[in-house]
Amino acid sequence: MLSYIISLIGLLLLSCIVQQFLPPIAPWYGARVLVLPLVVLCGSATVSTAGMLVLAFLGGFLWDAQHIIQHPTLNPTVFAPPSDSLKFGYSIILYAFMGFLMQGIRPMFQEGKWYLSAGLTGVAIFLYLFAEHLLRSFVRGSLDFDNGIINQIGMTSLFTMLASPVVFWMLYRIADLCGHEISD
Amino acid sequence: MFTLSEDAVRQVQKTYYSSIGPMISKGAKAEKFAHDFIQEVEHSSDLKRQLEQSQRERDRFKLIASRVRELEGENNELRSALLFQKQTEFDVIASRVIRRQPHIWNSTIEINRGAGEGMGVSLCVLASNGGLVGRVSLPGDNASSVLLITDEESQVPARVEGTPEVGLIVGQRTAHGESPKLRLTYLSKNAILKKGMNVYTDGRGKLFPANIPIGTIDEFEAGPVYGDAEITPAVDFNNLKTVFVITDVTGD
Repeated sequence: MLSYIISLIGLLLLSCIVQQFLPPIAPWYGARVLVLPLVVLCGSATVSTAGMLVLAFLGGFLWDAQHIIQHPTLNPTVFAPPSDSLKFGYSIILYAFMGFLMQGIRPMFQEGKWYLSAGLTGVAIFLYLFAEHLLRSFVRGSLDFDNGIINQIGMTSLFTMLASPVVFWMLYRIADLCGHEISD
Repeated sequence: MFTLSEDAVRQVQKTYYSSIGPMISKGAKAEKFAHDFIQEVEHSSDLKRQLEQSQRERDRFKLIASRVRELEGENNELRSALLFQKQTEFDVIASRVIRRQPHIWNSTIEINRGAGEGMGVSLCVLASNGGLVGRVSLPGDNASSVLLITDEESQVPARVEGTPEVGLIVGQRTAHGESPKLRLTYLSKNAILKKGMNVYTDGRGKLFPANIPIGTIDEFEAGPVYGDAEITPAVDFNNLKTVFVITDVTGD
């Protein structure tokens, strides 16, 4: 179990690097394949709740390290208060929610119905991005939604979901190597 | 038969020729048609060969022309970059854009200069036409991240040329592939602004130096307290290749 978790963490770090080289798919509303969240989600279906929380913490931490933009201290008489950005670490909470979602159908995953979990990764990614956009809009004091955003979120979820069987296959291989029992 | 008279033979021949005459004439026409047809076929296959060769050459020239256009664009870009570097009043470091939009939500680019080459947090970044691009948000060892002024989290103190109006430029989210727009907020609600007026940085807050072109006014909307204006950026953000980082930023 421990060697499997350590391998998962290694895979998570590898996915951070891979993520850097995956450009947006311009013809599909700038959709992306989100490898790092995908590894967290797929990994969550293969470990216990404690393992999932470890993955969520590390995944959220790495994700925010990649994406949060720090602002310098600005003169408050000139600039609007910089309250309009999310704080470092918010992704950990969102990742944990997604992880619980994946854990919800873990019994079916253990029965070998991996395709249900693969489908759920798409739903979870959609919910994650949707929640993230809501949060970002909310802290700025406006809830803007247009077709462009919905399409981008939808396509990103779809493309990420399509990549999930590959990640599950890798996890099965790693589990075999580590002697970790994924299925019943 | 051998004893027939000359006249009789002539008559026979005349009859013969008058009967086969039309056939000979039709045959000649058919022969001409066949000859023409064969020539046409030969000509066609020759033409086809020539056409194929022309198409191949056209494709090759197209390829060369597109490469020439590409090199021409690159040359113009480098020429204007060189000119900008010579003419600008700032100390600048030229940088190449190595990645666009690495974030999902934020409008950022990555440039090929890092902390070792003088990059620092909040250094101002310009395009080769002198327009404001953004500021360095995260200097790395070999590359740095630049937050574009089109990002929703970006704020730039600005003024409208020829008026006493000052405000804050903030980015606006646009769908992927669309030309980004800016918004000039906190203007007075009674501001008299016309389309095409120039907007510059005003140096307040010491984050950006004064008098850097930001864009031109598109539309002004008066609100209950403040007025807002939509701005078309001076920089073509979709085609940024080379940018300049000001290393001696002092503001006002």
